[in-house]
Amino acid sequence: MTVSTGPRGAGRSDRVGAIVLLVFALLYGFEASRIAYSFSSDPLGPRVFPLMLAGALALLSLIYLLRPGGAEPWPQGRLLAHALAIPGLVLAAALLLEPLGFAVSVTILVTGVGRLFGASWHYAVVGGLAQAALWFVVFRYLLEVYLPGGAVFGI
Amino acid sequence: MDLGYLWAGFSVALSPLNLAIGFTGCFLGTLIGALPAIGPINGIALLLPIAYTMGLPPESTMILLAGIYIGAEYGGRISSILLNVPGDAGAVMTALDGNPLARQGRAGEALMISGLASFVGGTLGVVGLTFFAPLLSTLAIGFGPAEYFVLMIFAFATLGSMVGSQPVKTLIGCVIGLMLATIGLDATSGAYRFTFNEPELGDGIEFVVLVIGLFSISEAMFMLEHQAKGGSVIKVAGRTFARWADIVRCIGPALRSSVIGFTVGVLPGTGASVASAVSYTTEKRLSDREGTFGKGDVRGLAAPEAANNATAAGAFVPMLTLGVPGSGTTAVMLGALMLYNIQPGPQLFAERPELIGGLIASLYIGNILLLILNLPLVRVFSRVLQLPNWVLVPGILVLSIVGVYSTHASVLAVVMMLGIGVVGWLLRKLGFDMAPIILGFVLGRVMEVNLRNALAISGGDLSILFQSTISIVLWIMAAAMALLPFVLGRLARRAAAPSPQVS
Repeated sequence: MTVSTGPRGAGRSDRVGAIVLLVFALLYGFEASRIAYSFSSDPLGPRVFPLMLAGALALLSLIYLLRPGGAEPWPQGRLLAHALAIPGLVLAAALLLEPLGFAVSVTILVTGVGRLFGASWHYAVVGGLAQAALWFVVFRYLLEVYLPGGAVFGI
Repeated sequence: MDLGYLWAGFSVALSPLNLAIGFTGCFLGTLIGALPAIGPINGIALLLPIAYTMGLPPESTMILLAGIYIGAEYGGRISSILLNVPGDAGAVMTALDGNPLARQGRAGEALMISGLASFVGGTLGVVGLTFFAPLLSTLAIGFGPAEYFVLMIFAFATLGSMVGSQPVKTLIGCVIGLMLATIGLDATSGAYRFTFNEPELGDGIEFVVLVIGLFSISEAMFMLEHQAKGGSVIKVAGRTFARWADIVRCIGPALRSSVIGFTVGVLPGTGASVASAVSYTTEKRLSDREGTFGKGDVRGLAAPEAANNATAAGAFVPMLTLGVPGSGTTAVMLGALMLYNIQPGPQLFAERPELIGGLIASLYIGNILLLILNLPLVRVFSRVLQLPNWVLVPGILVLSIVGVYSTHASVLAVVMMLGIGVVGWLLRKLGFDMAPIILGFVLGRVMEVNLRNALAISGGDLSILFQSTISIVLWIMAAAMALLPFVLGRLARRAAAPSPQVS
């Protein structure tokens, strides 16, 4: 795989990323220096190793800042919204898991993500129902993993 | 040499339950490998929590995950050959000669040659594992805390110089993983670190939450932009049995590449993608006299396939004997052992011979099962190449939720997994690889504890890190690894320099 600096935007996101990592290293180091402890059976204590890591990350992110490259361009508009909709749908499914039950929340998740990946409404809904049934049978009866039935399949 | 552990292992691996589990692992692994989007590490991340909550004993879970790992190394070639999209990272090189062969109407032969090469590499790798692992564990018995700490330094030096195109990003990934491992209760001092008074963080970040976030949520987000552009799947037509002459021509390359693959596998953190690249370029240099590599040369197909399968076996050597994973996928398996409160290391051979023996024996059995699955039944697996992403990705996400929810039974764990997944996606967009983060995470506690124990022994004197012969050798090896890219770069330049004068 070759490293390309790509369009100008990519080099910039490398630099932004490097600066964010550098700031994170400093915050982590600051937090590490404040770790409260009264006694440790070793001479190093709980602070030194995290401080070493903070130093290492700070150094590495400076090198990264000076030699950027390799970042991909960011998705724009709809593509970006779709990418972020994936964790959103997973979150919704997780929140609905207990109140509505496994089958309902999986149908919603599979249908929604199916739409994001280009399925028509027709295929997405059929896919959602089919996967909900499939995974329900696999987990409940084949693997015997506990899943909440919820309001719909509250058995 | 005492191979008693292996015979004990066969009685574990040949029990009906473990045979069935091993077969399931190999079958799912081939499937996962054949799917263009996901590789062994994603498959293992998804199935680990489910195996754990089903209450499988540790050796059975290991047999399942190992089956997926080696199965995926076999299956990856199917999509490389038929679709020209690598099925996983180890199968990138396989497409170079495999796909041209398929386009010449020799897909069946290409699948057979590469399947046989996989079997040769996989089996030789397991033989190497069988003999090398007890040897290394005997050597490692002499390791004290100082030696372990330096061993970790060597592991990160190897990672930085061998994995990925940008060493800085690989190393940053390792440090992020190490940092994540410091979160939670510090056992030595009783201090809570980076928990911000959240009781949920007291035990640190849960391994399952981290791997699913990194290898499934961020993967799904990444796939949205990188959907394999509907390339056409080449049908397996014509003869399916390779010519004897071709098979004979591949013996040498397959044997050499198995050795390369096994060696790369043993090195900490360097997995199948490195091994297949090294073996392909080596073989090209050694035997490509007519310039046929890249145009459908069977030897260019056999070499990387033998190598990536040998790597998988090799990667188990340091993981089982030293507790240092030989690849990203074995890093996830190491985390799986930790879920069972098993810390791999030299004492594991003495304490849990049935676990190590069972795992290794299952690899022998698995290679035979995989040969059957991948030669006569290869057409079945080639069907999954047509599985659309709108079916596959939601399925991955369902398994992710079930995995996290069933191990932790909390919605908060799911939220954390999503947070980690989004950060992972941001890092991937910046060109970071996820595997170093996992490696750092599983090695973090061990690295810190050994450093602190070493200094507790010496009373704070740093010279203990440079005292024993073993640690000095490890420091030298680490330095050599760190300097390797510069030396290779200079050699390449020197080799390239005279050519303009000649022409």
